[in-house]
Amino acid sequence: MTIDEMTSAADIAIDGFQPFWDAAASGELRFPACCTCERFHWYPMVRCPYCNGSDIEWKSIKPIGSVYSWTVVQRPFDTAFKNWTPYIVGLIEFIGAPGVRLITNLVDVEPQAIQFSMTVSPAFDLYDTAESRLMFRPKEMPTGSNQ
Amino acid sequence: MTPDIAIVGIGETAPVRCAERDLRSLVIDAVYEALDDAGIPPGEVDGVVTDSIVMPTTVPHDYVMAQLGATSRFDGAISYGGAGIACGPLQAALAIDAGLADVVVCYFGVDWGTRPSGPYGFHDLYPAKQAFEKPYGFNAQPIYFGLWTRRYMKEFGLTPEQLGSVAVQQRQHALMRGGGQMTKPLSIDDYLSAPCVADPLRIPDCCLITDGAGAFVMTSRERARDCRKPPVPVAGVGFQSIPVSGDSVFTQDPNLLTTPAAQAAADQAFNMAGIKRSDVDFLELYDCFTISVLMQLEDMGFCEKGEAGAFFESGRAAIGGDLPVNTHGGFLSYSYRLGIEHVVEAVRQLRGEAGTNQVANARFGAVGGFSLPDYGVLILGDDD
Ligand SMILES: [Zn+2]
Repeated sequence: MTIDEMTSAADIAIDGFQPFWDAAASGELRFPACCTCERFHWYPMVRCPYCNGSDIEWKSIKPIGSVYSWTVVQRPFDTAFKNWTPYIVGLIEFIGAPGVRLITNLVDVEPQAIQFSMTVSPAFDLYDTAESRLMFRPKEMPTGSNQ
Repeated sequence: MTPDIAIVGIGETAPVRCAERDLRSLVIDAVYEALDDAGIPPGEVDGVVTDSIVMPTTVPHDYVMAQLGATSRFDGAISYGGAGIACGPLQAALAIDAGLADVVVCYFGVDWGTRPSGPYGFHDLYPAKQAFEKPYGFNAQPIYFGLWTRRYMKEFGLTPEQLGSVAVQQRQHALMRGGGQMTKPLSIDDYLSAPCVADPLRIPDCCLITDGAGAFVMTSRERARDCRKPPVPVAGVGFQSIPVSGDSVFTQDPNLLTTPAAQAAADQAFNMAGIKRSDVDFLELYDCFTISVLMQLEDMGFCEKGEAGAFFESGRAAIGGDLPVNTHGGFLSYSYRLGIEHVVEAVRQLRGEAGTNQVANARFGAVGGFSLPDYGVLILGDDD
């Protein structure tokens, strides 16, 4: 092999995420799950890491998550994000998809108001297919709810 | 069984943010210095080992061997960055003990101070990171470790003062030593008033960025007796990984607040060395962030989970304390060359060459190399 024949890993196309984006565009949250052992995994994999099964299906789950952790990014590490700061990166868990943790941006919330295990839901209304970014916001409780 | 090899020479360039010379020149300087330290002519090198990702793409083995005018009989590469450096002696032991090589050089260097992408370029290795994480601005190590730190604080009650005590302690070590990149004192009040980068992480929680290189030379314990300086035996080496890919490990590891594979790698190294944790006189841990020092101290088995913050805050990690950690000031205050400086420092300590920072009567030292999802542990020294 010569140097010219080598390809950077970053040049390798990744199409494993398309079902996630297609679901987001139709207002759904889907994650890959193994049809054999029924466990979810993330990120998308060719084989189930738990039972090595190859029959993997993207299952729709109730779009409600809880905040595992978050950080407020104060300085950009890439010039493409210089107009973003400060912004909030959140890591979300789902009762409907045990074992999955999802990276997102938390929006429509002040950093001081975020709490561990706070209930959040996807901002499908803000989803833009060109951006590949599904943000989350605190879940609004129905009017009159005393939850 | 303990490997039958020793480290006989060390070299490093002066740590700076931006060097005047290119990376390849820095590496060659460090390798020549290490060979001179050993008293071994460059042409007698017949094996070369490095990490498998950073060096092969920046300063390849063939380039270095050509500069030495040396013929390679053994060529090895393992893991990337820190774990690859700590496990250089694992490969050298395999080669030397099998008679495949006689003199093996391990080197490492970075020019991340000069290179525009700095330490963030490594994301290019991971397609899922590119495709899924970067659009959210989840694109740099302080952000990943910021997420971990916030959750760790909740789970284990770590305070900002305890976290800051790591940065303060290591700054003291760097100033005692001199020659590092950080030259101003850091008090806990300075720490607490420093700006956040990705909260709760502040600027002093994050490692430096460095241009520089280091190297060390290994040979059989028998040949080591004829070298210029007292040999430092390789007592044990451990390598382990977990089945979570580099794309996923910052978010999907089921045990997200535990350093992947650190306990298993440490167990392997200590079993090989035939010594206990309590036999170690100092540690050089991969301090990319303050939080990662605390996690490794716990996960390698030197503290109970959640206790490392109090360990640092009470001064037990100071030179003169129970178990000095990062005796040169580490990546936080000395230099950030992913751990080659940790091996060099451990050898200096065990030779008794550490000057103002000498750990009294140091016999065994351990180096931790952290390269998610891999971990490498190197134990150096002997009973003498
Ligand atoms: Zn399965």
